[in-house]
Amino acid sequence: MTGRRPDWLHPAFRLIEGEDSFVWADLAELPVPAGGVVQADRPSRVLAALAAAEAAGQGVLLARGAADPEGWQPGPGFTVTLESSGTTGTPKRLRHDFARLRGRLRGATEGGARWLLTYDPGAFAGLQVMLTAAAARALLVAVPGGSGGTVAALAQAARRHAVTHVSGTPSFWRAFLMALGDAELPLAAVTLGGEAADQPLLDRLAARFPDARLRHIYASTEAGALFAVADGRAGFPAAWLDDAPDGLALRIVDGVLEVRSPRAASGTADCEGWLSTGDLVERQGDRVLFAGRLDGLVNVGGVKVSAEAVERRLLAVDGVADAMVVAVPSPITGHLLTATIVAAPGLDEATLRAGLRAAAADLPPAARPRALTFADHIPLSAAGKKSRKGPQ
Amino acid sequence: MTDSIFALIAEELGRIAADKGEALPPLTADSRFLDGDLPIDSLDLATLLVVLEQRTGQDPFREGFRQFTTVGELAALYTVPA
Repeated sequence: MTGRRPDWLHPAFRLIEGEDSFVWADLAELPVPAGGVVQADRPSRVLAALAAAEAAGQGVLLARGAADPEGWQPGPGFTVTLESSGTTGTPKRLRHDFARLRGRLRGATEGGARWLLTYDPGAFAGLQVMLTAAAARALLVAVPGGSGGTVAALAQAARRHAVTHVSGTPSFWRAFLMALGDAELPLAAVTLGGEAADQPLLDRLAARFPDARLRHIYASTEAGALFAVADGRAGFPAAWLDDAPDGLALRIVDGVLEVRSPRAASGTADCEGWLSTGDLVERQGDRVLFAGRLDGLVNVGGVKVSAEAVERRLLAVDGVADAMVVAVPSPITGHLLTATIVAAPGLDEATLRAGLRAAAADLPPAARPRALTFADHIPLSAAGKKSRKGPQ
Repeated sequence: MTDSIFALIAEELGRIAADKGEALPPLTADSRFLDGDLPIDSLDLATLLVVLEQRTGQDPFREGFRQFTTVGELAALYTVPA
């Protein structure tokens, strides 16, 4: 158990987690994680672990089950280590100084706000929502279960607790709008982040929640929350390339957005402070629009996935003569990976499907190829390459 | 109601659910996709739309999103081949 209430947690803050309700006194009763490692699957555990780590003056690791926490060292001073949800290779860990992490929170929440947690409590975005709500006389509503709970459960919780503040990925919002149907929700703030927000979705949200403040936030794990766009239009104003808000500087180098931010994690920028975001951008009139990732990663429901990496896995399956994984645009999840398979002669499709499924079984659901089709060859582009982009 | 599209949606949803080891409850035009009626998530729904495009050659969302909540509303977005 943990003693004193931390100063980043408002005395009137309340957390609802499924059927359980917590105020600070309840959080303080929760067991302190051994070795500074906490399974970051519930906000109650995460908030209690943060308070305990601060009191002990040491680091805490918000583990998301992606890597073995064995051998991780808390280190001196109160730091928070987050695990990325990367789908290629081993997850990255990034250690944040807590004071700097809090410095990145964008503004204080007005008292009385009722937040819905749609993000994983161990993710950067989830931590931001939790700390923003905790700092105010606010209610935080969470649904236990992977990635903030299913959209259906989140929509039910949103209605039941009449949430006023919801922050989520564009893919979350598309599904949430569907799950919500015609239900009334007294939203005051609608926030999008984690993927580029497209204009049709922004228009739908503005029409569905005309009284809400609509913002899309651009952030990266390395650079933190960079800016918020509040004019209801996709991308950001081109004028920001000359004069960016919040002490930022922005420039486009070879089609890639680079930033200089006072809030960047230490050791991530070059000697002049510039950090490549890896995001491709295009200037169109008075706007700069996002146009995908330099590394070829695509966003599937808020998770960055690599079609190439998945394709390599499928190519290694017994009986696969050739395979092509492409990202096709989806009105629900932004993109979706689909696969075309060429079977080796004499192989039956059912056996092959089982092998393909097994090869993708340990990938996050967003990275598993869907809508598998079989073909007798893979069509190549004029340059003799697999045409990766898929139909647009 | 476009019966053949409805049947196609039922068939493909059944397949998607079966791939996850789930059984689909009886489907009606009023079955709602993402509010807990059906054992599917948004990735499954995205998969359904891709498969429907593969099988019908139609992409009703090409010009932007069109609102639908139920199976019947989705079926109505596809035109039945004459």
